Amino acid sequence: MTAINPHKAARLRRNVLLYVAAALLLLIWVVPILWAVIVSLKSESEVLAYPPQLIFQPTMANYRDAVSGGFSILPSFFTSFILSTATTILTVLLAVPAAYAFARLSLPGKRALGFYTLVTQMIPPVGLVIPYFLILNKIGWLDTYQGLVTVFLTFSLPFAIWLMVSYMEDIPKEMEEAAFLDKASRLQTLWHVILPQVRGGIAVTVIFVFLNAWNEFLFSVQLSGNHVRPVTVAMYNFVSVEQTLWAKLAAAALIAMLPMIVIGIAAQKQIVKGLTVGAVKGGGRR
Amino acid sequence: MNEHDNGRNTRGAGIHRRTLLKTTAAGIAALAMPAVLTRPVRAAADVPDMSSVKDAKIDWKQAKGSSITIGVTPAGYFDNLGALLPQFQELTGINVRLEKTPPGEIRQKAVLDLSSKTGTWASHAADPMYYPLYARNNWIDPLDTYLGDSKLTDPEWFAFDDIVKSWTGATSVDGKPYGIPYDGETTLQIYRTDVYEKLGLKPADTLEEYVSNAAKVNDPSNRLWGCALRGFKGAGQNMYIYPSLFEEFGGKWFNAENQIIVNGKEALDALEWYIDLLTKYAPKGVENWNWPDIADAFSQGTVGSYIDANTSAAVVANPEKSKVVGKIGFARWPKGPSGRRVASIWNWSFPINGALSKEDKAATWLFIQWAASKEVQAATSYDFPGAYKRLGVNRTSVLNSDAFKKLANGIGDTFIDATTASLEKDTHVDWRPRVPQWAAIGEIMATAIQASLVGQAKPKEALDKAQEKIAGIMKG
Repeated sequence: MTAINPHKAARLRRNVLLYVAAALLLLIWVVPILWAVIVSLKSESEVLAYPPQLIFQPTMANYRDAVSGGFSILPSFFTSFILSTATTILTVLLAVPAAYAFARLSLPGKRALGFYTLVTQMIPPVGLVIPYFLILNKIGWLDTYQGLVTVFLTFSLPFAIWLMVSYMEDIPKEMEEAAFLDKASRLQTLWHVILPQVRGGIAVTVIFVFLNAWNEFLFSVQLSGNHVRPVTVAMYNFVSVEQTLWAKLAAAALIAMLPMIVIGIAAQKQIVKGLTVGAVKGGGRR
Repeated sequence: MNEHDNGRNTRGAGIHRRTLLKTTAAGIAALAMPAVLTRPVRAAADVPDMSSVKDAKIDWKQAKGSSITIGVTPAGYFDNLGALLPQFQELTGINVRLEKTPPGEIRQKAVLDLSSKTGTWASHAADPMYYPLYARNNWIDPLDTYLGDSKLTDPEWFAFDDIVKSWTGATSVDGKPYGIPYDGETTLQIYRTDVYEKLGLKPADTLEEYVSNAAKVNDPSNRLWGCALRGFKGAGQNMYIYPSLFEEFGGKWFNAENQIIVNGKEALDALEWYIDLLTKYAPKGVENWNWPDIADAFSQGTVGSYIDANTSAAVVANPEKSKVVGKIGFARWPKGPSGRRVASIWNWSFPINGALSKEDKAATWLFIQWAASKEVQAATSYDFPGAYKRLGVNRTSVLNSDAFKKLANGIGDTFIDATTASLEKDTHVDWRPRVPQWAAIGEIMATAIQASLVGQAKPKEALDKAQEKIAGIMKG
């Protein structure tokens, strides 16, 4: 019997501990999702059964109810998709140049303006519902796509600007200066030099902005109606004053999560790159 | 290289991701398919006969071409109404859209709409406690003018007086009706007949007996608790139960100087009774239970008795969810130390938004009149072809009809008697003070009650603090 190398044993112990810790962390995320999946496959009476039944005849009826018939969330699903996509595209189009300006240009009142964009994030959203309702009503934008997208922009834009500023500031100024020496304009520099460097940051911004717009409820419930009804509001049809239809709600929630999972997977590489960009360069973000 | 190896090697190249994305897209398409294929189509035979609506001596087509939106909450009783809307549209030529808004948000949205005079909702499912606020601000129209207009109303056919008096009383301000009840409830004692029979118990006649019954039924080791009452914080949650207790203990909301008093001896006795009962004999977590949670627990056989809305019977007697079907009894709210029974009553009613045009007001009134009519009440209840038969019908004639009795007696043979006695004898419209400030007062009291229940505050201190805040609101 050969003796175990003490270094190898220590490494093995460390790895085991790391994997256990990682598994535990993963469990925190996975268990609620798994629970929702199980609930969505049960009948309403099985959901309420105690002790919880782990062996049961799975049914797809809840998914069918969530997408068809009087309780269908499908139209709202597509409404949310349009709202979130429009909000994300507009946010990125506006936030990237704004963030560049904040990070690179010396503008009069830049600090004050930067602070002001942050202030808007500090107002409790519930305090804004009434003014938004009155303004949108005045201009005839209640229960419209443009109304909700505009409201979503008010909180997504400051957030995206500040997120992008941190990525922009990480890019060495020398890269831009080299471009200027080659007679590139500022716009060309932004397009050809800066944007490729902050692709990861844009991916992270897209995810967060889309996620926030997709999950928004407070403004949606007050400012939308029969014409533009986001999925978060439609899902509430399963929570009535009489009862909560847990199985159908779980099925609807899982369907509503799909776009986020798809986008997360699609942008996985870019997100990792975006999140680790500072570490790779050996310097933290300022 | 086998297929498994191939799969592993290409994962990093992104094929795995693409495959997953394609699969997900296909999944969404597959889910969307049944929406098209299985959209329920109502067969002609399924539609209840409401031809007698045409007997009303009014011109149903007078607001033809109008389009109105009615705000409602997600609930079976409004779904049943929604299913009949095509008939209303055919009858009147008025396009009606029901807009579902979650129960927690409908009141806020209604106040926003009414106060800003947007006229978004022609009418909405209104809480009776909000009528004083609406009426004082002239946000809604008094309905006596509509009821008295022969062009708009056939009084004989509509029979306003047939609508349950305590509910129309609750939607009236200074004697004028402002809303027409569509669905209503009263509060009863609901118990398990099998458990009570086994233990030799009778439904409680007094609050004292209710505690004693709960103590005898309580057997947590076998997952059976003695009772449950709403513990969830809110003006219509724990403050749906407590005001009745307060009055049953002899409490009066206003003193001789017309000041609202919530911290007197009777208030404290009522609160201590409530806390004592729930901490000893109710399931853990009851402080966060609203009535759907109570109905779920009762329907799973884990609660021996509860005091709540009679309409919860439709949920606890639903064979698709409930394990206690055929074992449910109903009785009136037990008497308090004052010797009185004070049932909590409530309803969803429809007002007319004052900001509408004259034509839309007429269209809205025709809709309200139709929804509250005997024909629609029956068609959404025992005559409804779907599984959910609503119990909160608004009319005495419908409540006393043989068809309704047949439906209700299938749930429990004491349902009709207990409901009728409760509505006629056990309540009054001001069991909660109907003042414009109620929403804020109710929330303050609800917080004090829940804080006492979970032990965050002593009952007396909590009530004193609530009194101070409420006095400030009434002054301001």
